[in-house]
Amino acid sequence: MGALNYLTVENASIDADFVQFCASHGIFSVEDFLVHDVYVLVASAEKLSNSDRLKQGINQMLSIIETWHQPWVSGQVLLEDREQNKHCLSTGCKSFDMLLQGGLRVGHVTEFVGPSSSGKTQVCFQVASNVAIKLGSVVFIDSGNSFSPTRIKQIVTRISGSVETWVHGILQQAMRNIECHAVFDVYALLNVLQQLKSSLESQAGYKVRLIIVDSVSSLIAPILGGSNAQGHALIASVGYLLKKLADRHNIAVLVTNHMVSGEGGTLKPALGESWKNIPHVRLQFSRDHATNIYGVYILKHPYMASGGSANFTIP
Amino acid sequence: MEVLRLPLSASQKGKLISAGYTSIASISSTSPSHLALELKVSENEALEILKSVSNGSRLQSTSSSLTVVNGAQSAWDMLQEEETTRVHITTSCADLDSILGGGISCKEVTEIGGVPGIGKTQLGIQLAVNVQIPYDYGGVGGKAIYIDTEGSFMAERALQIAEACSHDMAEYSRLYHKGPQACEVKTMQPKDFLENILYFRVCSYTEQIALTNYLDEFIKDHKDVKVVIIDSITFHFRQDFDDMALRTRVLGGIALNLMKLAKKFGVAVVLLNQVTTKYSDGSFHLALALGDSWSHASTNRIILHWNGDERYAYIDKSPSLRSASAPYSVTPKGIRNSSSNNKRIKHI
Repeated sequence: MGALNYLTVENASIDADFVQFCASHGIFSVEDFLVHDVYVLVASAEKLSNSDRLKQGINQMLSIIETWHQPWVSGQVLLEDREQNKHCLSTGCKSFDMLLQGGLRVGHVTEFVGPSSSGKTQVCFQVASNVAIKLGSVVFIDSGNSFSPTRIKQIVTRISGSVETWVHGILQQAMRNIECHAVFDVYALLNVLQQLKSSLESQAGYKVRLIIVDSVSSLIAPILGGSNAQGHALIASVGYLLKKLADRHNIAVLVTNHMVSGEGGTLKPALGESWKNIPHVRLQFSRDHATNIYGVYILKHPYMASGGSANFTIP
Repeated sequence: MEVLRLPLSASQKGKLISAGYTSIASISSTSPSHLALELKVSENEALEILKSVSNGSRLQSTSSSLTVVNGAQSAWDMLQEEETTRVHITTSCADLDSILGGGISCKEVTEIGGVPGIGKTQLGIQLAVNVQIPYDYGGVGGKAIYIDTEGSFMAERALQIAEACSHDMAEYSRLYHKGPQACEVKTMQPKDFLENILYFRVCSYTEQIALTNYLDEFIKDHKDVKVVIIDSITFHFRQDFDDMALRTRVLGGIALNLMKLAKKFGVAVVLLNQVTTKYSDGSFHLALALGDSWSHASTNRIILHWNGDERYAYIDKSPSLRSASAPYSVTPKGIRNSSSNNKRIKHI
């Protein structure tokens, strides 16, 4: 937040008197000015001798601020952005890709929901390996010590074919592209996402294509509920950060969630109503233990009908 | 006001706030000379302020490769690490070890559940003894923490298992360590085994929560602990809990604590769980206790069950192991491979 002193250089009406007047109200930066009630400021300016100059200064401030906020964009610009930047990341599994019409979309937050041992983490590994080999780097945020490098090695070897020496070079390159970070509470998660945001904003060299959070429910469940509403505020912060990262930096975000029992003994996704609206795409996983076939079912999608489903196996 | 949290002197903080810098993000994006001009301090001081800001927000970087987020490790480094350090605790049953990929893995939380009498406590005691097998004999050479909530730990049984283990180690040493090496490798006496099992008895759920929080400090002081066994995690949470939502939250918190322990100190955490009946699809079947939300608390899950007259272990959930099943038996020497004379006695 810029200090008011900066503005004195370019704008005549924001002079030392104005800065002093603002300081007397506890306003030292642009942020403070925005938070303060403008009418109260104008009213107190009236009482002073150089009220005209001060009111001019206030108006100047407001007009400067007008030029700084996010611009309105037309649908045309959004469509161009979508065609050029927001591609689909293939998951490596044909039936899954067909269900999602191409794969995980960059700029969307996709959620995998399912009961325990229904294949969510395995599909996350599959997608991570696929993206790491072909497209760019992957950040895997793991809250349950379930990241297994040997399993990733198996999947990468399977995807890239069986030519020995060639595979070894690819293996090292692909595995260097996947970064795993272990977090054990929601504040650590927020910390990691903030760091990611600031390093993506400052250095354009990193090509992060995919962020996986496995699983967001085990981080948030301990603080959700009870007498305070802090849990809901934290869910909102996590959701906001993930969506901002996805949209601004052209990254696909994948989170996993588990299920809890709802009415009538059926299972419903955990984290309740406040989380329900945050992911763009929600997919429900199931597994048939007898045949080892996994099924995925669309619960929510921005432009596809819900109810579509597909089956696949993970070798 | 995030700048108030920084380790700076009060006058520096005052100057930062009066210049309009209230959040860490705003400071970290300026250059030192700019900051020096703004705050009217020397450039060295501005540099120091920036350094303390970046130290405060940076996590410790452990890997050599460049990562986007500090503190992350690339999968390649983790693979190299995993392939070079021995990270499995054997269960003394060859079939079980083979489906587990060598044994119970350190750095992960494994949940083992089953009907009463299947051998959960026996497996727990066996692991507490096996973790102490020295490195030369193929073990990890560490101590064990045994947290008993039900009172089912029997020191005499532990002594019996330790004697069998010590006997097996002596056999191994006789067969494989011939020549001058035989004198150097020391054998462990059963008494030594018992000395290295650190036992806690917990009598209520508050004690259990307190103990999980305390384990962090405890393991820092006892760095050679390699396994934490909780027998059983369910006992105090099944009865007398009025508020189910509170129970879920508390269990979620415990699960995260144990995960953190496993990752931070590289210990294996073994949780023994009980079973309950669930009604679904028109029939009753057995499922592990503590509900659906607890089923996500462990990295691996093994279910022990009867199959006819034999005891079987089945891997229900694992990110890296295939689902498989293996028979085992409980003998006077501990957990061993299944053989025909260890089956369940039929009640007439």
